[in-house]
Amino acid sequence: MMSHHEAAELLAVFALDALEPDEHELIEAHLAECPRCRAELDAHRQVAAALGNSVEPLPEGLWSSIASALPPRRDDEPPPMPTLVRDQTGDETSAAPPAATFAAPPARPRAARGRGRLISVASLAVAAAAVAAVLGISLVHDNNQISNLQHSSATSAAAALTTRGHKVVDVESASHVQLAQFVVTPSGQGYLVKSNLPTLSSAQTYQLWGVINGKAISLGLLGHTPNRAAFTFAGSPTPSKLAITVEPAGGSVVPTGSMLATGTV
Amino acid sequence: MKKHMDQIGEVSDAQLVTAVARYSEVALAEVYRRHGGAVYGLARRVLNSTSEAEDVTQEVFLRLWNQPDRFDPGRGTLRSFLLAQSHARAVDAVRSLNARRAREAKDARRTAAAEYDMSHEAWDLALADKVAGALAELPLDERRAIELAYFDGRTYIEVAELLDTPEGTIKSRIRNGMRRMRAALVEAGVQGVDA
Repeated sequence: MMSHHEAAELLAVFALDALEPDEHELIEAHLAECPRCRAELDAHRQVAAALGNSVEPLPEGLWSSIASALPPRRDDEPPPMPTLVRDQTGDETSAAPPAATFAAPPARPRAARGRGRLISVASLAVAAAAVAAVLGISLVHDNNQISNLQHSSATSAAAALTTRGHKVVDVESASHVQLAQFVVTPSGQGYLVKSNLPTLSSAQTYQLWGVINGKAISLGLLGHTPNRAAFTFAGSPTPSKLAITVEPAGGSVVPTGSMLATGTV
Repeated sequence: MKKHMDQIGEVSDAQLVTAVARYSEVALAEVYRRHGGAVYGLARRVLNSTSEAEDVTQEVFLRLWNQPDRFDPGRGTLRSFLLAQSHARAVDAVRSLNARRAREAKDARRTAAAEYDMSHEAWDLALADKVAGALAELPLDERRAIELAYFDGRTYIEVAELLDTPEGTIKSRIRNGMRRMRAALVEAGVQGVDA
């Protein structure tokens, strides 16, 4: 294990991809635990990017080659899984200014979502109109992964409740009505144990958020009739709170409305 | 059509990535239009090969398509994220045996030029002057260590061997040089480099 001081001394070299492989791995392990070093690394990477920012004319045909290599997706294939929290170098303390993003547009019918059926520029413009400020995002995709996990999470949730060090999180409305209950394990797994959330229209979904250092990070979508669901925040700090919002069916990258319910972990 | 292009041209990078996450090839194409030249330019510089740089560029954009959530706008710009991806992949390639051989040939050719001078490169408009100014302020040994590591894809140990200098000294030169660069860029008003 590398000490903070040792790691901090090597961050500039790391940012230039100039460490030996074994040192590289040690730094990565340290970064997963150290927000201060992550922030420092981000700054070094910006400097490296400024150094390497040498624009050249793009070769003819390169884009065609990229576009033709995009993996084909069947019309019924779901978009990428809902994000966990973020990757292991995720950082909640970056000093970088907030960046703007937009709430993802509502999910469209499956038939209109496959490769070759592009999100129209018009819909992109509509989505862009819903710009919201965000302090750090993980992209939200869809609830299919959670749907897949629902089949296996009944026993998993029960097992989690017997795990040493587990925490039960009651998620309540502002008027202290319990709307959902989760169990969270020390290894970073979480499960919806029970839900009193009313059924939404199919155009809407419940979305679960983890509050980490004051920021709401998406943990995934619960669907419009939450039953059982599993999520993970392994590799990131444990959220201090869980929160639920109602979002358009495709989910949002940041909460677009007030928190429907929250619970302290 | 022109109207549509105007619209997407006004969308922020973060918004584009969100659209990429929803399978918008239009959005990916716009990211490519904005940043492809920089991604390709850095890869070509490190690899000294147009075909290998094209491979790296393709890999970077396919990765963005498949894993858009790896970009976190809270941690830096999309340009810097893509450049870091491009650099890491180019360095992986340059460290392979074949690329290393090619680099030896490149080094032999470069011997005649002797001088490491980045100021002639096609820098990206406004940033170019500021980076050139920051580089000019660096002591030559720091600048050289950074250039050999970053643009030639060498580890600091390789740089130490090449310059016949202790490894610890090279690490210090890179660290101090990067700090100096950062301070100069902050002073020049470049966003995002201050921790």
